[in-house]
Amino acid sequence: MVRRHLLLALGALVVVVLVLENTSQFRNAQFGAMAYYAIAAGGLTVLTGLNGQLSLGHGALMAVGAYTTALMLQSREDSLPLPVILALAIVVTLVVGALVGVAAARLHGPYLAGATLALAVAVPGIPLFFGEWLGGEQGLNVRLPEIPVWLADAAYFVTGQELTQIRFLAYLGWLAAIVVFVLLANLSRSRIGRNWQAVRDDEVAAELAGINLGRARVQAFVVSAGCAGLAGGLLALSARLAAPSGFTLTLSLLLLSAVVLGGLGSLVGALVGAALLTFLPQVVTGAGTDLGLTDVQAAQLAPLIYGLVTVLVVLLAPAGLAGGLRKLINWRRSS
Amino acid sequence: MGYIDISMVSYSLPDGRPLLDEVSFRVGEGSTTALIGANGAGKTTLLRTISGLVKAQAGTVTLDGRALTGMSTEDLPGLGLAHVPEGRGVLAELTVEENLRLGALGARPRSNTAALTRVYELFPVLAERKNKLAHVLSGGERQMLVIGRALLSRPKVLLLDEPSLGLAPKIVVQIFELLRDLVRDDGLTVLLVEQNARSALSIADHGVVLNLGKVVVRDDAATLAGDDALRHAYLGF
Amino acid sequence: MQQLLTTVLTGLTLGVIYAAFALALVLIWRATRIVNFAQAPMAMITTYIALVLIDAGYSYWLGFVAALLSGLVLGAVVERFVVRFVSGKSEVNAVILTLGLFIVLHALAAIIFGSRYRSFPAPFGLRGFQVGDTTIALTGFGVFTILAVGVVMVGLVLLFRGTDLGLRMRASAFNQEVSRLLGVKVGRMLTLGWALAALVGSLSGLLIAGGGLVHPSYMDGVVVYGFVAAVLGGLDSPVGAVVGGVLLGLSLSLVSGYVGSELVPLAALVILMVVLLLKPGGLFASVRERRV
Repeated sequence: MVRRHLLLALGALVVVVLVLENTSQFRNAQFGAMAYYAIAAGGLTVLTGLNGQLSLGHGALMAVGAYTTALMLQSREDSLPLPVILALAIVVTLVVGALVGVAAARLHGPYLAGATLALAVAVPGIPLFFGEWLGGEQGLNVRLPEIPVWLADAAYFVTGQELTQIRFLAYLGWLAAIVVFVLLANLSRSRIGRNWQAVRDDEVAAELAGINLGRARVQAFVVSAGCAGLAGGLLALSARLAAPSGFTLTLSLLLLSAVVLGGLGSLVGALVGAALLTFLPQVVTGAGTDLGLTDVQAAQLAPLIYGLVTVLVVLLAPAGLAGGLRKLINWRRSS
Repeated sequence: MGYIDISMVSYSLPDGRPLLDEVSFRVGEGSTTALIGANGAGKTTLLRTISGLVKAQAGTVTLDGRALTGMSTEDLPGLGLAHVPEGRGVLAELTVEENLRLGALGARPRSNTAALTRVYELFPVLAERKNKLAHVLSGGERQMLVIGRALLSRPKVLLLDEPSLGLAPKIVVQIFELLRDLVRDDGLTVLLVEQNARSALSIADHGVVLNLGKVVVRDDAATLAGDDALRHAYLGF
Repeated sequence: MQQLLTTVLTGLTLGVIYAAFALALVLIWRATRIVNFAQAPMAMITTYIALVLIDAGYSYWLGFVAALLSGLVLGAVVERFVVRFVSGKSEVNAVILTLGLFIVLHALAAIIFGSRYRSFPAPFGLRGFQVGDTTIALTGFGVFTILAVGVVMVGLVLLFRGTDLGLRMRASAFNQEVSRLLGVKVGRMLTLGWALAALVGSLSGLLIAGGGLVHPSYMDGVVVYGFVAAVLGGLDSPVGAVVGGVLLGLSLSLVSGYVGSELVPLAALVILMVVLLLKPGGLFASVRERRV
């Protein structure tokens, strides 16, 4: 199973290279965004789908990762290598995730939802309060380091094209995404992952089987927090900014609805959800302005559609798009 | 008036397990029928099918010739069917009087204060506790509450699910005597589900024995009580 | 001293609004075991309806009534045509449903009413009363707020405790099956419950908006505060919701006044976590286990 995941990863890497090298800068940026949304969605789908913990606050955890990254990239010189910075962002978010996770482990259902909702609303206020250090309303600018020369040369050698910042970040994002997905896939199939599902399905049975409920829940939360932190860091790099307005409640809710649409617990679904989050807005906004809406109004069409489809999915196909597709395939097979 | 016809009622769980298999019998006007059998025989499921909480996949249930299958549960008290469910169904967060008033509201037309007074006369202990929350009542008092509540909807037919459950023998005797008097005085038709087959048969006119969802025997209560082989096989005494 | 009085009075006025919103959440929770996170955008939309009327020249009171009525209708419609289908099933699904509604209503409001900040009138004036030489922090609008919420609460108590309809609604909330067996049209009671809760939510929306700015996100904080207040008092307790709301309003006002208004949501989060970890049932936790 692990070998299968590695092979898929390799295949994915090839696809990523081909796609990024052959599309425009604009598309590269979009694909880059899709990568970090996928990471956040992957973590969230594992938390909610496998472990049954509903978090409405993952946007806030992304903010933690973003701000940590931004803080370490305040001056162009003297900055640590990017992988180290991102690793630190992950670690900080892991710690925050552990704190929240420990508190959240005792909550369930609407209580957990409400608490994470409160988190999502509370966190954007913190950089406003500590305006001096955290940039206030404007946020913190991120000074991207130069791409290392050896990397730029190697890239040119392999692909024959210049490696731009945008493309570099997209590669970084996708590399991270592939690694994260392999890890999450392995984790899901492992004993730990099965424990998480057992806790979700039947607490009493899980406890009787010797599983520590609290530990399992915190583990799942921490893992998903780490993913969110990494995603936040990548977002800060791409946007060159970490500001409160980038991490509203809406982000948390959209992330959750993306995961629901793709199918809770399904990593493929997380990819689907991330793709929707990245590409749907432009398509829909274009259609909206064609229909005569103003720009501002058309921009609201994407969330409107997410919301509607989320509602429909819950009512009609609780297993999400991926689950619905699977059911369709099985139904076809059996008839 | 007040007879129930159950005809070829079948019900299976979504996973395929059958709980009721072509159950048929009649509960005649003014009579008391004891529905007995071991645990899991389908007795409660049958009552729930009659009152519409469970939708049978096959068969019909009629009250005075009128089809009940397909009607909403909430319309049945208005037609004269009262169902006291398994576990009694006391609304513990409401007061005794509020529970009773709910019963009165279910009748068509709704029962008046005189009816309420009558129930208090029948069950003085309820009158004593009328403004207390129902959860302070003992098991026997709760049973009286739910019977009183059911009576307030002026039923022609009363479905009772294991009224003796969890009650001391002395109280069980009290409750059953009360039921017998009600049937005699008001001409109530009663379908009584009980695991305590002996007590049930002692106040019933007829008995129906269910086993694994099928009707095994239908007969006079006295005959059933006297049939040793049957009793040993299905009723445990 | 003056600042303390101001803080307390502001907190009281806000607290009463949070109490109303918390009450709306509790009503729905008791009846259908769902926390209606979408209550916030629902209230926001009904406030916008009022705003449209007011901007068109009609009186504030017409807008007020229109908001309350549209709240009733919106609550009923949402229950009957959306929530009805997930009642009683997975908790996770119900939460996701309300979140989906949250997003939809937000986006609809932005499309139909626009995203810019618009001011909303406040009847009875926003200047503090004069007591001798000093102006205290209680405004005409503040008094109206407290009275309005008070009237609604008294009305609800009278409805639930004193009428047959209220009795039926309470029964439906406690045990749907037994209620049906007693002839209660549970479906209608649930729709009515959601309608009333939405009415109370709409009132909160109007009161929060008064004298301030309205925009699609303006109620988002309130859903958090309402939820925290409801949890503080115990999700099953209407009295708790009211007490919780007032307590929370006071606490948050203190934080806002003495620490900083940006940290108010964080303070709410802290209060929530403290309550959930120490006394999960809330201050007014009911003694008995509720039978499902």
